[in-house]
Amino acid sequence: MSDQKYNALVVGAGISGIRAALDLAQQDCRVALIDKSPAMGGLLNQLDFQFPSTHCGMCKMLPLVHRDRSSQFCLRKGLFHENIDLMLSTELSDLAGEPGNFAVKLHQRPTWVDPGRCVGCGLCESVCPETVPDCFNEGLSSHKAIYLPVPHAIPNAYVIDLAACSRCGACEEICPTDAVTLSQSNRKNFNILVVDDELSIRDSLKEWLEDEAFTVDMAASGAEALEKLKAQTYQLMLTDIKMPEMSGTALLQKAKQAYPDLCVVMMTAYATVETAVEAMKTGAEDYLIKPFDPDTLVPMVILIYQDIEAARDREITVDTVILATGTSFYDPADEKNIYGYGIYPNVLTGIEFERMISHSGPGGGGLNRLDNGRPVQKIAWIQCVGSRDIQHNADFCSSICCMAAIKEAVLAKTLSIEPVDTVVFYMDMRTWGKSFQQYYDAAEQEHGVRFERCRIHSLSQDNLTGDLVVRYVSGSGRTVKELFDMAVLSVGQRPGNKTEHLSRICELPLNAWGFFSTRPFSTIQTPQDGILAAGSATGLKDIAESVISASAAARSASQIITSQNRHIKPPVKEMPDDQTTKTDNAPFRDVSREPVVLFVGVCTCSGRLNQWVDPDALARYFSMDPDIIRVAFINQACTADGWQQMKKEISDCLANRVLIGACHPYVFLKKIRELAQTVRLDPSLMDVADIMAPVFRAVAEEKKDIQAICTGVFSALNSGAESMKRMEPINPQPIPIAQKTLVIGGGIAGMTAALAVADAGYGVDLIEKSDRLGGNLNWLHQTIEGVSLKDFLTDTVDAVEKHPLVNIFMSSRLISFEGSAGQFYSTIENEEKKAVDVTHGAVILATGGHEAKTAAFGYGTHEAIVTQKELEIRLAENQIDPAQAGTVVMIQCVDSRQGSRNYCSRVCCPTALKQARHLKQLNPEANIYILYRDMMTCGFSESFFTRARNEGVIFMTYDRENPPAVDTGAGQITVSLTEPVLKMPVEISADLVVLATGIVPDFSDDLASLLGIPKDSHGFFQEAESKWRPLDAIKEGIFACGIVHSPRSATEAADTGRAAAQRAISLISKPAYLPDKTMAIVRHSLCSLCERCIETCPYGARMFNLDHTLIQINELMCQGCGACAAVCPNDASVLPGHSGRRMLGTIDAVFEQLHN
Amino acid sequence: MAKTTFLDVADKNPLQTIREFLKSILNTDDVQALLVPGRSGSSQSIMPVLINDPDLIDDADPLSPCFPVNSARLASKLSHKPIKGKIAMVLRPCEIRALIELSKLKQADLANTVIIGIDCLGAYSTKYWAQINATDADSLPGGLPDPGNPNDPHLAAACRACEHFVPENADILIGLFGINTTEKIMIQGITDAGMALLKNLPQEMVEETSEEPVAREKAVTDLLASRIEYRDTMFETTRQAIDSHEKFVRYFDRCINCYNCRVACPVCYCKECVFNTDVFDHDPYQYLQWARRKGAVKLPADTVFYHMTRVAHMSLSCVGCGQCSNVCPNDIPVMELFRLTAADVQHAFEYEAGRDKEEPLPLSVFKEDEFTDVVGIG
Repeated sequence: MSDQKYNALVVGAGISGIRAALDLAQQDCRVALIDKSPAMGGLLNQLDFQFPSTHCGMCKMLPLVHRDRSSQFCLRKGLFHENIDLMLSTELSDLAGEPGNFAVKLHQRPTWVDPGRCVGCGLCESVCPETVPDCFNEGLSSHKAIYLPVPHAIPNAYVIDLAACSRCGACEEICPTDAVTLSQSNRKNFNILVVDDELSIRDSLKEWLEDEAFTVDMAASGAEALEKLKAQTYQLMLTDIKMPEMSGTALLQKAKQAYPDLCVVMMTAYATVETAVEAMKTGAEDYLIKPFDPDTLVPMVILIYQDIEAARDREITVDTVILATGTSFYDPADEKNIYGYGIYPNVLTGIEFERMISHSGPGGGGLNRLDNGRPVQKIAWIQCVGSRDIQHNADFCSSICCMAAIKEAVLAKTLSIEPVDTVVFYMDMRTWGKSFQQYYDAAEQEHGVRFERCRIHSLSQDNLTGDLVVRYVSGSGRTVKELFDMAVLSVGQRPGNKTEHLSRICELPLNAWGFFSTRPFSTIQTPQDGILAAGSATGLKDIAESVISASAAARSASQIITSQNRHIKPPVKEMPDDQTTKTDNAPFRDVSREPVVLFVGVCTCSGRLNQWVDPDALARYFSMDPDIIRVAFINQACTADGWQQMKKEISDCLANRVLIGACHPYVFLKKIRELAQTVRLDPSLMDVADIMAPVFRAVAEEKKDIQAICTGVFSALNSGAESMKRMEPINPQPIPIAQKTLVIGGGIAGMTAALAVADAGYGVDLIEKSDRLGGNLNWLHQTIEGVSLKDFLTDTVDAVEKHPLVNIFMSSRLISFEGSAGQFYSTIENEEKKAVDVTHGAVILATGGHEAKTAAFGYGTHEAIVTQKELEIRLAENQIDPAQAGTVVMIQCVDSRQGSRNYCSRVCCPTALKQARHLKQLNPEANIYILYRDMMTCGFSESFFTRARNEGVIFMTYDRENPPAVDTGAGQITVSLTEPVLKMPVEISADLVVLATGIVPDFSDDLASLLGIPKDSHGFFQEAESKWRPLDAIKEGIFACGIVHSPRSATEAADTGRAAAQRAISLISKPAYLPDKTMAIVRHSLCSLCERCIETCPYGARMFNLDHTLIQINELMCQGCGACAAVCPNDASVLPGHSGRRMLGTIDAVFEQLHN
Repeated sequence: MAKTTFLDVADKNPLQTIREFLKSILNTDDVQALLVPGRSGSSQSIMPVLINDPDLIDDADPLSPCFPVNSARLASKLSHKPIKGKIAMVLRPCEIRALIELSKLKQADLANTVIIGIDCLGAYSTKYWAQINATDADSLPGGLPDPGNPNDPHLAAACRACEHFVPENADILIGLFGINTTEKIMIQGITDAGMALLKNLPQEMVEETSEEPVAREKAVTDLLASRIEYRDTMFETTRQAIDSHEKFVRYFDRCINCYNCRVACPVCYCKECVFNTDVFDHDPYQYLQWARRKGAVKLPADTVFYHMTRVAHMSLSCVGCGQCSNVCPNDIPVMELFRLTAADVQHAFEYEAGRDKEEPLPLSVFKEDEFTDVVGIG
């Protein structure tokens, strides 16, 4: 199959895109991962610190099994995976076809620097005369017109901001590797037609654009323009809208009809902006509002030129598409700009603040005022800027800003050298996720972050001092004026910039808020077959939820791929021969018994190297070494010719170790893999030593100390050679994998997971403790959106029961569990105590949870005091007459977010809204009160909060310390509380009191200890990492989904089921697992059985095998970290490839001197 | 709570009294054998002896200042796998402490042992012992070493710097300090197992009390003060002897890689030392390269590296018994360096080798916030 055929296209290389791409790649799917920006990582690239760890942690998404296929370093720096092609500065420009065969057009913007040649030396930057604000630091600092898009990428190639570039050519002249391709741009051939009835405008446009070296023609009317278009090819037409005879809009239509490729920009007065916007729907590229100056026009034209003339288009075919396009941010500098953003220097957005506090940020992490540079002593966070704001078309909650603000405040408190006061002004503190409430409490109680519940009245600046003045009404009702050094706006999110564009290309409908819409009961399946969405593209998500949705999307995508490609579908029952026995067909020669034969190939970089190092001296030195068979000098190893020569030399001398001295080792990763195939030598016996780094460093520092460079080059080469000499061949033996999954729990999450695994062709054993599948869906009737859950449940149960690969154990439980990832052995027992033994490679825990019991608020003393669950059931069974429920009081957070259950159950607030609106519908006269602490209507469910308020549901807050009281004296229920605004006691005579008691998990201590996994502090499943590996247990091979992980809705639970299935499948997708090369082994003859390695292993990959009295390693769990090798005093525990010999030899060689 | 009793000393011969006491222990049902320093058969040197026949108890010489080997490794060999019953072991405090370390390293199972500790009077170097040609403790020219005289020049340096002369973690303690040993010997049951065993002995134990004699406390305190004084001077001298790279290399000038110190070390527990493995089995070309690089290279190679590796591996578990110096054929002050490093390293980890069998080995414990100044994260 050609290079142009991929299994999946993932649009957007933020964390969701990366997660989805990795999941698919791990399953042998070929993935094209594109991103419109010149660096991967998305928004998270700019955020250094995540709560609760205050670390980044993105690398934790890297694969834990089959690690050798992927790079194993910081994911913010880069990602290399043998099945992923990462294409940057690339956008999706067209899509046609159907699932299994989408024809996709990709549009790659030029960066004007060839990333294959750029060595990142920085000389260009030093000579560039143009300075522009730095996007990476949100404009808080500046960079040159030729710049590094992010400071840390690997490879890190420069790019040119063409709009800022003055085309002086200095960079091109100085570039040592001829990487700058600026002069290849040919603006003369870019023909622009300017159409305007006013001569003065035509003239000035012509002058401006000709100054930029474009070819410009003019036309005074539509008719003349059409003539000119007929006569010659134009790439761009700029046309006025209001012209006599033929309007610009009419011209646009005619021109586009005849020349569909022509790019048209409309020019319009402010009064006719609407027309221009309309025109964009009929094919105009953009519009300009008159009057405009060259600074507006020229960059726009240059970008268009760049897009049209210099961009490379590429066509590929894919089976499926995942849109992981993320979000953009609300711009607080709108027409009202009530917070003075962009005017008051000390008003920042959250991201700007994160850049400021970052060590790679403009101030190196220092917190100083932007007006006078003095240390910041007091900061205000203002929540819901452009969120939960109907005036700004944002009837939704951005979901992440509350926690982000708390984190930022804690960061300010902990990272600042000077003491800092922090205040968060908020409406509801939305601590809806796992452990969020505890983090909030810690911020308030341990770090001393102050929280003020109010919308601030105003934010202004004291012009004398530059201080920011915040006016607000405090909790006690006083009007307060407080001074701050800095204000951080928690700006809300908006659909990604290209969402509309993509929705047109993919013919995807958008929802009311402008995000991609999805099918019911899924946040990842779009209405278009074969097109999936991940992360925030369908609604706002935090890291963990994005990662979950990405895995779920990958699962659905791989479903499509599997149905199209038989080669990916591997459920073969037996282990294939070629993986169990070594045959002559083995891809690589067995060189384990051969003496070392090392070939050293040195790239001279077109002879440049000779300036610093004498090749003869090198050759003489290496020829003394009996292990080195040949030293060859290649002119340019990076070119096809050079590489060919390298290959020939290597095959000629029958080397069994190869060292190549060249620049940028990662560039050679792919080439080495190819070479390995050609010479049948395991790629782990080949390496590239970076010999050019000392040269580049010297060039950049302008220190041309030849001896120092020579030493640097030689020691890189010599240590590389020494390291390769002592690299022993590693032949990991495949271990069999049981290609089945055990799912514990038959609720919606467990069933979805079981179906997802089974649909992929792997067997599932599903255990349900009760006699009925469906869990909580058996009593839940409809979602907050009003969609019935009944069909969803029956369809799912039906599919599970009928699926030939799903084996259901009803009324059963797990009674024994042993083994480890890849091979677990379980015993399942049913009601009649009949036991069955099953083997499986992975386990999905989906035991769910249930509504908590309570004794609070008079529950149990009066039949009209019910829980939310009881209300749902009684309403459905007509046990409650809505007409009789004239006054209903709902109390939220009953026993929740306090005491021993200090977490938010997340579903109760939307449930209360659902029931309140339902009751109101049945009895419009009813008075419904919802007494709450913080309304947790995250994301789009916020709109139901708005609707409920509009429909007359009355909301009153209370705080943890002063809960309402319920009195049932004389058969009458009275609810009393202090009204928060008036500060007056209020009594409500209620006909019905509904308690939201929250959710507790169904996860017994017995099951947890049987599985050998811990619980979190509230009894839920403890994940390996709350953000980056949210569904994985610390023990490899066990995953969780649904409510046992954390409280969530049916739709969300189903998505976690899909995601957990994906995680499980990536483990069991092959009948045998070939362990990664970097995996610890034990040399039993040396082992004293002190067991220190067992205690030290952070992955629990080691155990004492009592039967054989030896230390045993689980190959799937071992991550090759080497802690065991470090703690073992006598190299009984070793990491092959990282032997003491090799390390010592390498270190020795570093200090060797070459005598020229 | 420890139970303190006393044995009457007959004929002003404490050694014989202790022998009788040990014999009665060996006679109990549960004790299979007794490990104790002594002479067996025609051997003239004092070595650990595993006595099974109570009638051979006169071979035992637990008070001898001869200390040719730290018995902890032997104790580990006797106890690392299950046996029926127990082995009683008469050990010096440093031997007990080493055994505790070995048990943490899973090289010994203390459940199989009854540890009898004796107040340690200190030991002579094996060379000096051979010089004086003594037979048993009674026939020493100057009698027993005088623990009250830490400046006895014949006492091994390790003993003169030792603060742990009162056994810790023994099941049964035989006390000598602050007691007129011509009349009485103190016996303490420390652990439940120790106390249970004492209860079953036929001996008349008199003056049962929970208090130790007042004189004992003073004797211990005084001795400790003089030991600490000696130790600190030793640390200072050693620190100065190795305070540069050149001096450090010079410190081991005479090392011939005989590995005696490793064999003698009670906590060096590897089945096969890394210096005997392929890691240090260099190719001829390697030697040539070294010679080329430096112009000349001292052989045998890896001597300093060997000691540094041992310091790295063992200083957390070093109990300062001094056997490394005792066995060095070229009189390199190995103990001095180990004790100094061990003191610093164990202090850094708030750990003390042999102090507590429940205290985990520092390298087996992961703490998220530890040595933030060293690792640069925090």
